[in-house]
Amino acid sequence: MVTEAALTVDLAIILLSATLAGFVAKQTGQPTIIAYILVGIVIGPAALGFVEVGELTELLSELGLAFLLFLLGIKMRIDEIQHVLSPIVKISIPQMIAVFLAGTGIAFALGFGPVESFLIGLAVIYSSTAVAIKMLNDNDEATSLHGKIDVGVLLIQDIVVVIILAVLAAGQPDDLAEVATTLAVVLGLVVLVTIAALAASKTVLPRIFRRIADNKEVFFLVALSWAFLFVFVSDNINLFLAPLGIEAYLSIEMGAFMAGVAIAQLPYSKELQDRVNPLTDLFVMVFFVSVALDLETAQLLAYWQEAIVAALVLIPIKFLVFVYLLDWQGFDTETTFLGSIHMIQVSEFGIIVIAVAYTAGFVEAEVLGFITLLAIFTMAVSVYFIEFRHRLFDRFEPTLSRVTSEGTFETTGREYRDHAVVVGYDDVTRNALPILADRYDDLVVIDRRVDHIDTLEADGYDVIYGDARKGTIRKDAALKKADFVLSSSAELAVNKALLRDVGDGTAVFLEADQLQDARDLYDSGAHYVIMTQYLSSDKLAGYLRAYLDEETAFEAAIDDDVELLQTGKPIPDINRLGGELDE
Amino acid sequence: MSELLTAISIIFIVMGPFLLVANRFDLPTVPFFILAGIVAGIGMDWFGIDEALTLELAQYGIALLVFSFGVGIDLSSIRSVLIDSETAALGQVLLIGSLGVGAGVALGVPLSEALYLGIAAALSSTIVGTALLQVEIRMNLVHGRVAESIQFLQDLLAILFLLVLSAGVLAADPIAEMLGYGLSLLVAAVLVNRFLFDAIGRLAGDSSELMILATVSLLALFIGAAEVAGVSIVVGAFAAGLAVRHDPTEYLGLFNGLQSIKDFFVAIFFVTVGALVVWPFVEIGWAASVDKILIAGALVFLTAVVKPAVTTAILLYRGYESRSATLAGLNTDQVSEFALIIAIEALLLGVLTESVFDAIILAAAVTMISSSITNYYSEEIYRALSDRGIFTSGHGKIDAWSDVPDRMFDHVVIVGYGRHGQKLVETCEEHDRPYVVIENDPARRNEVRAECDAVVIGDAMERYTWEKAAAEDARVIVSTVESETVSRRILSLDFRADIVLRARDQETALSLLEAGALYVNVPALLAGRQLVDQIQALLDGDLTAAELREQQLTELESNTHTSLNGSADDTPSVRS
Repeated sequence: MVTEAALTVDLAIILLSATLAGFVAKQTGQPTIIAYILVGIVIGPAALGFVEVGELTELLSELGLAFLLFLLGIKMRIDEIQHVLSPIVKISIPQMIAVFLAGTGIAFALGFGPVESFLIGLAVIYSSTAVAIKMLNDNDEATSLHGKIDVGVLLIQDIVVVIILAVLAAGQPDDLAEVATTLAVVLGLVVLVTIAALAASKTVLPRIFRRIADNKEVFFLVALSWAFLFVFVSDNINLFLAPLGIEAYLSIEMGAFMAGVAIAQLPYSKELQDRVNPLTDLFVMVFFVSVALDLETAQLLAYWQEAIVAALVLIPIKFLVFVYLLDWQGFDTETTFLGSIHMIQVSEFGIIVIAVAYTAGFVEAEVLGFITLLAIFTMAVSVYFIEFRHRLFDRFEPTLSRVTSEGTFETTGREYRDHAVVVGYDDVTRNALPILADRYDDLVVIDRRVDHIDTLEADGYDVIYGDARKGTIRKDAALKKADFVLSSSAELAVNKALLRDVGDGTAVFLEADQLQDARDLYDSGAHYVIMTQYLSSDKLAGYLRAYLDEETAFEAAIDDDVELLQTGKPIPDINRLGGELDE
Repeated sequence: MSELLTAISIIFIVMGPFLLVANRFDLPTVPFFILAGIVAGIGMDWFGIDEALTLELAQYGIALLVFSFGVGIDLSSIRSVLIDSETAALGQVLLIGSLGVGAGVALGVPLSEALYLGIAAALSSTIVGTALLQVEIRMNLVHGRVAESIQFLQDLLAILFLLVLSAGVLAADPIAEMLGYGLSLLVAAVLVNRFLFDAIGRLAGDSSELMILATVSLLALFIGAAEVAGVSIVVGAFAAGLAVRHDPTEYLGLFNGLQSIKDFFVAIFFVTVGALVVWPFVEIGWAASVDKILIAGALVFLTAVVKPAVTTAILLYRGYESRSATLAGLNTDQVSEFALIIAIEALLLGVLTESVFDAIILAAAVTMISSSITNYYSEEIYRALSDRGIFTSGHGKIDAWSDVPDRMFDHVVIVGYGRHGQKLVETCEEHDRPYVVIENDPARRNEVRAECDAVVIGDAMERYTWEKAAAEDARVIVSTVESETVSRRILSLDFRADIVLRARDQETALSLLEAGALYVNVPALLAGRQLVDQIQALLDGDLTAAELREQQLTELESNTHTSLNGSADDTPSVRS
């Protein structure tokens, strides 16, 4: 029987205290993750004991992980990381092995048992996606060379973590042979899911998403539907394998990740990132808070001294391993330094690995407490190192450049600079494109209609599919470095966001419906505001005047317009395109 | 993985294909969520999961749905809607509501439950209605605007119903108490909005993540307050929405983020509603099934036939011409999502039985889909009704409100009195040229009548309007209306006069030219050409960006004095 469903008090407490802590963290320059974890410790059984893990919090934190991995998957655009792919692979694999050995060694030296040490080694090899990517984004360095290397390495680490999670989720093995079998089955399943995802991204997905991309709500929900399909299959894999007599495990994270990768290869993935991001933020917050909800104070603080020692040893080791490997791959000193300094912390995935191992019965809750403390501590320290990275670099450059070699890596990846950005492809901007393309080496067009994208790509323009309301989309167009920005959106909010994002020297042409909007835009720094309605009504009145005075003068006047109408390349009609697909 | 996650997975997996179908046929998504829910319910039974498990998540969906309604409200528009005389539409709610209650009682439903049938019949869906009229609303056509404000008023009423219903009994004292609590929540919301929200924004800095968290926390606080006061959480959510209401310009990231969160939970809500339906004939016996179908059928008939008829009649009485009235009326022919919320709240409170609840949900799904169809064929429906002579008294209104000299010839007929129309009237007056303005928006009636020499208040789709404007003897007809339907109609009337039209895009313009228009104005194309000139000047170094800005600002200032009072053609619609 259903009862009046009062909303859970637990969730409200989590929300409110996390918000409060988040704001405090923001004001003190700490990453929000740390605030969330601390909140979990404070309101959980470890301290105040307000909140316990309930069904809903458990769901939301599960969703948080699934969404985080889904989001990561969506970012895996193979063509974008291709040119740094080889050095990234060559850096990340030795790095993981080296840090794994170091981590296992440290743990063993600190008195953990062999299995525990082994798992701790596995848990510390990843750097924090949350911290590194967040800092890169905040500092506008995500698309810089060292940013790309870091993102690539993090993604490879994520793939490894997904596999390790799958193996751990299988639970306590009886012998080595069983571990090997589990690993083989899991790898087999991972390969199968990967093939399924990539095959889908080549076949059905482009057709489905092409059709729905213009409908924001349907687009978003169908993408989630796709993700949940993978989550569901991964989770219930035994249901499908049972007839074959095989038993295996696949993590829901793995499923979500591959669902994301399949979508990432479509041109619409950027737009989706911005849609999934807020939900991820919200759910991941619940995840981080609930990390410590399982821990008693005694469990959390059981190994606090060990955690601090491990952090103090691990941070320099991680840094040096990265410096060595980046240098080996021929990156210049600055790239090497900046690329390494972002990666010195222990990741939230480390906590997840141990959390899963704890659930599967490999380790005690105290080890989870240890790794949680270790992650919190290294993350906090790394944030400060990243914050002061340039000062640190200036200080240590002489020393560093003595031990590092000359940079030999050549950037083939293009970065936009002094380019032109056009937001929205329509009758207003269409004729401006050839002129801008003529003058600028790079011209980027942002548009959120599939048929427009096709037309633009056929004409050889760089296109970003997405809505200029979204921060990621605007960032992708590198507005700050643009020389010229033109927007045919009459939405004040979008135009003001553009004005906030552009650099000092950027010429900005915008559109407005109302006089007061136009004035507002000029006040905010626009150089030219097109007012279609005003322009057109003046022109029409002018034509009527000519018509009433002397019809021949009028005819001469409209000839131009009619010619423009007839010669201009028509914009494809969305309905017609939709029709073609069906036939 | 928890049972709950399995339930959510099933909901989303089943939802996907249904959404693809909705998208393929350009139908609103809500009824397809409900249909998906019915299927998902079967899926959950398979896995042995109780549908009620997702009820709590569904409640978040309700909260977020109402919350975003609150966020989207433009307070000044409430005033303009009230002034706009469309309050008459309230009469429709009362009439249909009573009919719904009556029909329920006649079918043997106890009065306390029949009340909910009345609410379900009376309220129309904003999500479905406005989705179907998107184009009309954007173009600010009369029937789009009227339908939108009717829906808007009904949503406000729904909140009020929920507030009253939380009293539990129909007695004055508890209701007054609830109203008091509701009012205090609203006052708190306004205070938060005034004094707290921007402070939060400043503290959050550029972090959308924190801003979203803070907003969701506010929502939780208001819902909590509502729960403590014993008021429906929906009222709390609505108040929270008002507290966050803000010009999206500064908080783009926040409002984008809220949209995603809302879409996620609202989808869960609608699917859960569908999953709760007990399928007639399959899951229950004959007698109960027939009962349920009868109630649902009565509700469908009231909603899909009687309600649009009543709305149209009231609008006609208020002085709208017959086409706008019919089209706006047809837009109200579905059950509201608020009726679903009210029904589910009542079900949870135990004051509504399963069979009446199911009838409401089924009627909602049916009418939301049928509504898409009637709105797709609304012009044809209107024509058919009109051809049967249903709207006979129409000309009297046109005659009464129009003001045209007896004999006119060689004059200019101007269709639409927006910014373009006003400019054209100015030009005619400068040239001492006789003109007639055709306008069908009652809201502009007084303005047009005061400012123009000759006026016809009527629909450009009607032949009589053109007779009235003496179009046969006109020299030129200039239409400033972007609607292709209107443009084609003008061409089809086959006047001797030259015809100048307006089109949204080049393709339409070209085909209108071919069909016989002398000239077709495409504002975007004109703007495009002007733009190209400016860009060229800038790139060639004829002037710097700063100089261009100065020049434009000067021009803008000089423009301001002459035309600030003229409204643009795209005046903002009721809600921002």
